[in-house]
Amino acid sequence: MSALDQPQVEASLEGFLVKVRPRIKALFAHYKIPPQDTEDILQQALLALVYQRQEVRDPEAWLFGTLRNKCLLYWRGQRRKLYDAVDAAVLECMAEPTAPAQVGADLRRDLESALELLPERCRSLLSLRYSQGYEPPELAERLGYSPSSINKITTRCLAALTRHLVTAGNRKKADHD
Amino acid sequence: MTEIHPTPEVLEAFVLGQLCTMEMRDVARHLLTGCPECNDVTASLWEPADELDDPLPFIMAEAAGGADAGDAYDGDAAGGDSYDQVLDRVFKKVVAAESVVAEQRAVGIQLFEELMQVSEERRHLLLSNSNRFRNRMLCERLIEESYETRFEEPHRAIGIAQLATLVAGRLKPEDCGGRDALDGVRARSWAYLGNAFRINFELASSEQAFAAAESLLDQGCVSPLDRAEVLCFQASLLKDQQKFSEAFQLFDRICALYKRLGQWNLLGRTLLQKAVVHGQCGDGEGEMKLLRQALDLIDPQADPRVFLAARHNLINALHESGRSREAFALLFHTRPLYLKTGDRMNLLKLRWLEGAVAFGLQRIDQAEAAFREVRQAFIELGLDYEVAMVSLDLASTYAVQGRTGDLRLIAEETLAIFQARNIHREAMAALLVFCSAARLDQAGIELVREVSDFLKRARNNPELRFSPAF
Repeated sequence: MSALDQPQVEASLEGFLVKVRPRIKALFAHYKIPPQDTEDILQQALLALVYQRQEVRDPEAWLFGTLRNKCLLYWRGQRRKLYDAVDAAVLECMAEPTAPAQVGADLRRDLESALELLPERCRSLLSLRYSQGYEPPELAERLGYSPSSINKITTRCLAALTRHLVTAGNRKKADHD
Repeated sequence: MTEIHPTPEVLEAFVLGQLCTMEMRDVARHLLTGCPECNDVTASLWEPADELDDPLPFIMAEAAGGADAGDAYDGDAAGGDSYDQVLDRVFKKVVAAESVVAEQRAVGIQLFEELMQVSEERRHLLLSNSNRFRNRMLCERLIEESYETRFEEPHRAIGIAQLATLVAGRLKPEDCGGRDALDGVRARSWAYLGNAFRINFELASSEQAFAAAESLLDQGCVSPLDRAEVLCFQASLLKDQQKFSEAFQLFDRICALYKRLGQWNLLGRTLLQKAVVHGQCGDGEGEMKLLRQALDLIDPQADPRVFLAARHNLINALHESGRSREAFALLFHTRPLYLKTGDRMNLLKLRWLEGAVAFGLQRIDQAEAAFREVRQAFIELGLDYEVAMVSLDLASTYAVQGRTGDLRLIAEETLAIFQARNIHREAMAALLVFCSAARLDQAGIELVREVSDFLKRARNNPELRFSPAF
């Protein structure tokens, strides 16, 4: 793109908002942001634009770049919450004291099948966590990771497990097709 | 639960982490069975974050569908309506905020004027104790002032940037339109302070200021534009510290951010800065390639000075790589731009470059005349370092003509200027070597070039030591 092709700044904020409205909706729909969560994202981005309007040469490109970034950050935040929730859920399932023997065996088999598909590093870490109930500091000691990096590694492994849980059937079907 | 499928709503709430502990457990247990039907639902909700670093799928979908993409979503009446309601609410608030921001900007300018009329001590008192001065636009004005004065009054630039960090430190999220924006203002104020320290060669203080900016960036909420601005200054520090590979990495990150934001003019500026580092590394080809890319992105109407800087650097790079004819041709076409910018410094840079290109074309008389003229102007302006640099260029013309007497004279004069002001110890040492050689009629063109190259490199690196090869 040549510098000469750069769009002109919209004269009024209202005119600009009318122009970008369909694209904003399309972007939120594409990133599947629940409507109730879009308000903060949009308000922060537009206020930042109002504050920085004098410095921003191409406000439309700026707004959509910023919104895309915020949508992705939104999902990152949601994902982190989900990893923690999945971790807690699996730990709780494994610790269920009143479960019948068959239910417990099924759970262990399903978990083992899921872990088998993960990278070796995650397999050993999550096996220890779910079979022995190890906390990150103990995992670091047992597996030889530094205490400062164990949380990051655990999060990555939980991300891999969660991703498997959420998309595995989909992949199996695709493989089958 | 393992045999009963959760509803799509429950699965969506699961992916969003919005279920209670017991429901999360039940859904996780169900998904562990690898249920394909439920995975169809959850996988479709998972997709967006797979594009974390690649907005291309969206951009392409948008290009293919245009505004229809939004209309298509409207087909989902509930979702479309909900977005419309949110958009209506937010647009209303933002339009109302526009006039508030304009008012804040006017107040910020007034506060700045008021602040500049009191003593330095009182400025700190006012900023620390008076709520009137808790104004984001005042902070922005201070940042701007620090940047504008960085070369002409480098010490003042530090003081002003320190005031900006003080204001930023007292701001609250509601003063800036949210936490993210506040973190952005704070990070930028620290980065401008870091840059002011860098220009004053206070590299340790500069690093400390950038560490403060970086800790704000690490929290992850600063907008990409603010982040890129901070990283740009940090890359300049790395360049001055001769940490070239780290600087290149940072420039690549900045370019990616500007591309993502579609800020082509800022991308052009970044390529211009990156080209300078290539030049410093001795990679003339890389420098010229980046400068050409930068010139394609910088708008000469909107950013005439930046465009001129890129052209100037390209002409210089062509000349230094021995392509003086091409440099001459480009210089001919660029001359109107130099004249249009109208400031004395740019005209002197033009004349200096004309001398250098003439020297490359063996037009020694023309080169000598240009260098003399520029040298005299720099002496009048008190720009000692520039005097030394152009004196060495002038010395080159004497060296190739075998005019040892003139060469000795210019060496003595230049050294005297440096000694009188006691500036840049290592540069002075290099000039002393040059002067001693000139006194013995042994200052050849190679030594002149060596000293000249050293002065260029040492300018931003006072720690560099001169060890002559000749």
